[in-house]
Amino acid sequence: MAYQKIVSSGAVYKGKTGMWLYIFHRITGVALFGYLILHIISTALILLGPEVYEGAEAIYKNFYFRIAEIGLMAAILAHAINGLRIIAVDLWKRGSEFQKQLNIISLVLFIAIFIPSTYKMTTSYFDICLEKSQAGTTLTDCMIRPLPDWKSK
Amino acid sequence: MSTRTDWGRREPPLKGSNFELYGWFFMRISGLLLVLLAVGHMFIMHVFNDTLNLDYEFVAARWDTPYWRIFDWLLLTLSLLHGTNGLRVVLHDNLNDLTIRKLALSALYGTSLIFFILGTYVIIAFVSQS
Ligand code: HEM
Repeated sequence: MAYQKIVSSGAVYKGKTGMWLYIFHRITGVALFGYLILHIISTALILLGPEVYEGAEAIYKNFYFRIAEIGLMAAILAHAINGLRIIAVDLWKRGSEFQKQLNIISLVLFIAIFIPSTYKMTTSYFDICLEKSQAGTTLTDCMIRPLPDWKSK
Repeated sequence: MSTRTDWGRREPPLKGSNFELYGWFFMRISGLLLVLLAVGHMFIMHVFNDTLNLDYEFVAARWDTPYWRIFDWLLLTLSLLHGTNGLRVVLHDNLNDLTIRKLALSALYGTSLIFFILGTYVIIAFVSQS
């Protein structure tokens, strides 16, 4: 394959919001790919049977990983919604006329989906933790300890 | 001085292939499908269910029907292709040394292929032990 040298026309791109969104899209895309690879590895352990799979899953059952999962949710939602915005600008005839509006719609959509998801992921963590813990366990205990005995229903 | 409107334009490459055009289009089509597959997967696993309840039986029950296996395989395949093509563009943009770039691209394609084979194998070969 021959690589061609691309000579700059001299134009300098001085984008504002669009440039930051482009950088943001790139960072979230690369991060999601890295996560995808790790996720395939940990899911593949299912072939080695329940003990190995659940032993690996147990690593994730604490509040620090819950925060990481919320971060993952933020990354995928942001990349997906911004991806839809890019598609709208590129493929919708009048997309480029409405870039400002599309930016705002994307942000509103992100907040409208991300906040309730975070709420559910947080409250559900504490509900399950308290349910599986002895009486007297506090929310702080749930935050600093791994989930106790998560296999017992 | 007249306003230039041709910033960034260049001659199309001689004997050009349309690969980059199709790649550009593929990112948009796969992106649309990934909204259903990847965002759907996140909501099913993290919002409607809680990953704290994720165990061997949960996966076995899901993969009991071919439909979820097909869903998961499409998610695996499209996200690997979309991510690999995205990273290919990132590497082209950031690596100027052609030797290093070729090495990095080979590593990327090798990794993606291995994980495509591994993931496909897991989805097809899984038989519940419980
Ligand atoms: C959930 C729905 C998704 C949508 C709508 C979407 C949309 C897009 C679009 C339209 C692009 C092209 C950007 C451009 O040409 O400038 C892109 C780039 C990219 N996407 Fe996605 N994507 C999604 C999910 C994912 C996932 C799951 C991954 C990880 C495997 C991923 C990784 C990437 C990467 C690495 C790039 C390249 C970034 C760049 O060139 O700057 N995307 N995405």
